[in-house]
Amino acid sequence: MKLLLLFISALISGCERLEEVFVEEDLLQRPQAKRCADCHADIFREWEKSRHALAWKSEQFRAETENYAKLKCLSCHAPHQVDEGKKPVLRVEFREDGVSCVACHFKEETKSMHGPLKVWSPPHPSKQDLSYIRSSFCAGCHQETYKEWKLAKVQKTCQACHMPSLGKKDLIQKFPFYLFHLAKPRHSHEFPALKAGPEDVEVRLEGRKLILKNVGVPHNLPTADQGDPRLYLIAEVTYSDGRKRTVRKIFSPQTKTALPYMKPKAVLLPRGDIKEVRVRILRKLAWKKEKDLIKEVTLRTLSP
Amino acid sequence: MDKVKLLLGAVAVSSVVIAAEKIILKKPPESLKRYYPPQSQKFEFLSNMYLMSTSFYAVNLNINEGNWDKALEWAEKLRDAYVKTSKMVPEWKEYFKPELAENFVKAVQSKDVDKVVQASKRLGRTCSKCHQENQIAVKLVFHFPSFEEIKLEDPVEFTELKTGDYMRKLSNSMKALRIYLEQGDTEKAQEAGINFVERARGLRAMCSKCHTEKISEEAILGKKYEDALTRIEEVLSGDNPSKEEIYKHLTLVGSACTKCHNVHLIPAMVQEAFAK
Repeated sequence: MKLLLLFISALISGCERLEEVFVEEDLLQRPQAKRCADCHADIFREWEKSRHALAWKSEQFRAETENYAKLKCLSCHAPHQVDEGKKPVLRVEFREDGVSCVACHFKEETKSMHGPLKVWSPPHPSKQDLSYIRSSFCAGCHQETYKEWKLAKVQKTCQACHMPSLGKKDLIQKFPFYLFHLAKPRHSHEFPALKAGPEDVEVRLEGRKLILKNVGVPHNLPTADQGDPRLYLIAEVTYSDGRKRTVRKIFSPQTKTALPYMKPKAVLLPRGDIKEVRVRILRKLAWKKEKDLIKEVTLRTLSP
Repeated sequence: MDKVKLLLGAVAVSSVVIAAEKIILKKPPESLKRYYPPQSQKFEFLSNMYLMSTSFYAVNLNINEGNWDKALEWAEKLRDAYVKTSKMVPEWKEYFKPELAENFVKAVQSKDVDKVVQASKRLGRTCSKCHQENQIAVKLVFHFPSFEEIKLEDPVEFTELKTGDYMRKLSNSMKALRIYLEQGDTEKAQEAGINFVERARGLRAMCSKCHTEKISEEAILGKKYEDALTRIEEVLSGDNPSKEEIYKHLTLVGSACTKCHNVHLIPAMVQEAFAK
């Protein structure tokens, strides 16, 4: 019994050393994302579906950068290390992985994986780092969106919408190691772009003015740093004399016409005694050709 | 001292001064594309030009300081770069005379200033000839971005247009605004004017394709530009829009057009002509 106790206490006191035994050195050499999938299979599968995974490989990005010739665009599409509020530098290796696992989680300074949770992870050192739950973590690359979000003065962080909670889940799936871990709060690594709903854009008619207000999305609608997503307004105006006119307008970050949060924008309709206006609002993501309908509403001028 | 002055004069021959009543632009050879974006980020051809130019001056500088050993080192660097460059663009092979670069090295070896001056002149003339015939066209084609692949969505018709077509629509909507204002057709002027304002705002999307830092975009399409467009919208929405007021703001918008055209239009026209 004494010997057993001695063995256990030796084991506990030598735990740090023991951890070193289980370290898989290649994990600290900035591996490809698929290497992380050996244990973090679920997170990898989510990330694979994300725009972060396609950040470098996207045909749109290749074309827009003239085959990666526009150097200043590259570092956010294959970052070496993502740090809170700092524009990253371009990674040398595995650029095709885009915004990869190690880009966000591996820190050169500590030679360990950082994340929002306190975890025990023998294959690689881990450090809890609360910057991962702050919007400023995303600000190094999403600079414009971050500025817009700050102006919106809301509590909701980037992560709250774009890394939605999945409840408590296992961080790893590798047998039998997952048996030694407790489920932890997990957030999606699909980083969904999300789509504004009809309730997010308020539309009303004030005389000849069509007033639009982004009431649901706490950054400009649409938003991007260099991408070119668009919101389309098609207003079909019917006048009391039967005339019809159509007004079209594009709202986009690159033309500085996107809808800021809670700030109304007025679109002036052509002169005449307006009877009704059929309004359609569509959106187009930067990397897609198709437009999706967000809202359709018919507004009528109130009879005097 | 006279000899030193002579040497300085000879070196000056290598820099290009074009004095002509007529300048003809020749289409740069296909093989030159290999040394410029998007095919290469290293500007290999241009780097060699800088290396040769620096080496030429280094020879001059060291001879004037009496440091013939260093002058020789630079002369050899110049020769090597010259020979290497002569092989980079086969279509320009005839401009290069590698034997003159070798003679230049020998002249420096001889430590005879007269010989160096003569060798410099002969070698410098080969540089000047090529520069006079090609430098302007090469700068216009390779040192300015191409608009060929840039497409803009027309905010009025929601169609994707090439830059030239977009510019024509923008310009035509401005002309239509002027025409209807002159004719006193307020309603049509308002429609054309709003279309013009939307298209003028849409131009920003083109700038941001390259100007990711936004500073140059702001310098040209900044607050004054946006304010002028907003004022045109406001004036047009009134019952009796003032022509003078609209023209005043159109002038401000036009000055932004001029600034951008002064930088981009001539290279774009030259590139387009060569592409046809």
